[in-house]
Amino acid sequence: MTALYACSNLLQHYNGRPVLSVDALSIQPGSITGVAGPNGSGKSTLMRILAFLEMPRQGRIVFDGVPVAGREARGGTEPAVLRKQATLLTQEPYLLRRTVADNVAYGLRVRGVARTETRVALALEEVGLVPAEFMSRQWYELSGGEAQRVALAARIVLEPRVLLLDEPTSSLDEESAERIRAAALHMREKHGCTLVIVSHDREWLSSVADSMITMRAGHMLP
Amino acid sequence: MGFIFEGFSTALQLLLDGHPETWSAVAATVCVSSLSICVTVLLGAPLGFLLGYCRFPGRRAMRLCVDTLLSFPTVVIGLMVYGFISRSGPLGGFGLLFTLQGIALGQVLLGMPIVIAMVANAVENADDRLQMTLLTLGASGRQQLHATLWEVRYHLMLASVAAYGRIVSEVGISMMVGGNIKWHTRTITTAIALETGKGEFAMGVALGLVLLLIAFGVNIAVSGLKRRAAR
Repeated sequence: MTALYACSNLLQHYNGRPVLSVDALSIQPGSITGVAGPNGSGKSTLMRILAFLEMPRQGRIVFDGVPVAGREARGGTEPAVLRKQATLLTQEPYLLRRTVADNVAYGLRVRGVARTETRVALALEEVGLVPAEFMSRQWYELSGGEAQRVALAARIVLEPRVLLLDEPTSSLDEESAERIRAAALHMREKHGCTLVIVSHDREWLSSVADSMITMRAGHMLP
Repeated sequence: MGFIFEGFSTALQLLLDGHPETWSAVAATVCVSSLSICVTVLLGAPLGFLLGYCRFPGRRAMRLCVDTLLSFPTVVIGLMVYGFISRSGPLGGFGLLFTLQGIALGQVLLGMPIVIAMVANAVENADDRLQMTLLTLGASGRQQLHATLWEVRYHLMLASVAAYGRIVSEVGISMMVGGNIKWHTRTITTAIALETGKGEFAMGVALGLVLLLIAFGVNIAVSGLKRRAAR
């Protein structure tokens, strides 16, 4: 089976300081990959690269068999095109200054989907929020955990090929963390979604992931 | 003091009786300032977004220029616009001199730096996570522009109101470019200057009261928008 992501010799540095150095990384379609490691080990940088939000200084990324255009690779698929297929939920997600329904529907609207209500309601249910109660709430009327789940619903509703979750349970209680786990598994089963999940909670991570990557000081440990 | 009180009472009478000359100046002011602020915001908001959002060589110098233009004297703008739209000027063929459109052109130049600077500031100070969120949700460049301006909408309104306050109260551009022509290009501020010079204190006060009322409305809007923007 062709790997969805085939990365080789990735090197990223900020202001001359190396933050990520990965010799080879392969992620199979439909898999759930867990990424663990201490703070500052390059996990979030790797996630931003996999989400095509930033391109590495060096190295090559092949997505679904096609090279991705980057600093070194010209003529491949543009990252802007691939961002429609891979979406990232960051550690501290940002909610747009609008209602919950509009937040969840935003990604659909930029893709030209006109009727969004049913899909938004289903996505909210998926993350354990009652649509009738939350749809019309403003962004500032949510707790930290609720905001986290609304942000996740905004990604789930897109039914992306790749869902990247960076510390999705960091501000959630046990019950909500279980809900996120169920939603991740459901995304794979129903839509064949490939997931990459970063978490400090190794127990939770191993309960959801098929394989694990451990990172330290920007490197993947064997 | 007597003539001041008399001036106020006559001023109120002029306003309440619908004195045609007084209300003509009010109408010209509302008309030209509304046109100016619409064009100012339509041009200034995207430029402010680009200045605050994009990183390009010369950006800091451009930012410095915009900030300097914030304190550009209105008579200098009036002089420049006069030079451009007078018959021998490069835009002389459009016949804008001594018209409300000509005044509007000058007022747009006056208001633009305010809108550009305030929008750029708001975009620069917007949450760092906004851009990444829009990108990862699949927004294109234009969609990012729209969404970012929507995110800073209260700051944008605040910039518009601040620019409107400056536009509606300027006198230099209206006087030089408009020519203070009765029933045609005479605005509140030019009329106040003229009537007070002629000793028609009451009409000056009447027009000043209308201007104060507008300024009061602008300030109420500013304080309300500041509260919303801080949320």
